[in-house]
Amino acid sequence: MSADETGARLDEDSPLSAEESLALIERQQREVHRRLGVNVALFYGPWGAAYLLGFGAIFLTYPTAVAVRLPAAVAIAITVVLFASAVVITAVTGARAGRGLRGPSQAAGAMYGWSWGLGFCALGVVNTGVTRLGLPDDAVTLLWSGSSLLLVGVLYLGGGALFQDRFQYGLGAWMLLSGAVSVFAGVPGNFAVVALAGGGGLLLAAGYFALRPPRPRP
Amino acid sequence: MSAIGSMPGLDPVIHAQARLRVMVALAALTAGDQITFPRLQQLLDMTAGNLSTHLRKLEDAGYVQITKTYQRRTPVTYVALTSPGLRAFEDYIAALRLLLPPTEQPGG
Repeated sequence: MSADETGARLDEDSPLSAEESLALIERQQREVHRRLGVNVALFYGPWGAAYLLGFGAIFLTYPTAVAVRLPAAVAIAITVVLFASAVVITAVTGARAGRGLRGPSQAAGAMYGWSWGLGFCALGVVNTGVTRLGLPDDAVTLLWSGSSLLLVGVLYLGGGALFQDRFQYGLGAWMLLSGAVSVFAGVPGNFAVVALAGGGGLLLAAGYFALRPPRPRP
Repeated sequence: MSAIGSMPGLDPVIHAQARLRVMVALAALTAGDQITFPRLQQLLDMTAGNLSTHLRKLEDAGYVQITKTYQRRTPVTYVALTSPGLRAFEDYIAALRLLLPPTEQPGG
């Protein structure tokens, strides 16, 4: 054991040239960013799948130009399962990201995570309150899809600012646009817009983040 | 350039593989963040004994701050770079760059 230790120490303490030292720094920086970095694709992929397949399924419960018709129960089951999975995957990924760390970045990350929960709670209360006053069914549907995408878009704008990530900011702007378009598409067109533009945008973001090399933390 | 042994101008506290790796890892954290000893150990693939030894040397030099605390009655050790530590690390990298052979001049 002591021989092992000596061997390790000799190896580790062997002198480095300036070139070797700089190469070691670069290698170690890449390794640390890779290991400390969060798999950001996991924040987008499950949501993209939930939007595309969940809202896509709801769209197919309406009589549309598409030949396929789904029973409402099936569409609702798909949507609930996919959205619940997305919530769990995102929460677990977020919690794992901060393992063994504390400080300003953790506080900022936690506050940002809670803004999603707080925002959607408030959105639910507001929309339910407005709906209670009596709205046509289509108006209720459009209120929910439009306001949800508006909130998602604004939260991505905030995330882009917080994490100094222009791509995330751009995704936020895209979600705002999708939300606005969905309201004017009417029912059931709004579901197609949310599924294709919203879900598609999120899946593209997941692909982009999966391919982008790990970055240093801001 | 044959730069063997302790080179003049290079901080001997940092110019050793293991401690250099520790400094790189700590400098990669967001300013003000702290990391637990086990997570740092896992990040660097170092044994606990080895990491403690090198952290002590870095702490003695004033480059890292070690905070021992309790979380739910379990002792937790947090490690972070100090401002002098970050400055020493940046100076060390600048000194390394000066030791490199000069790069080719464009058009030369």
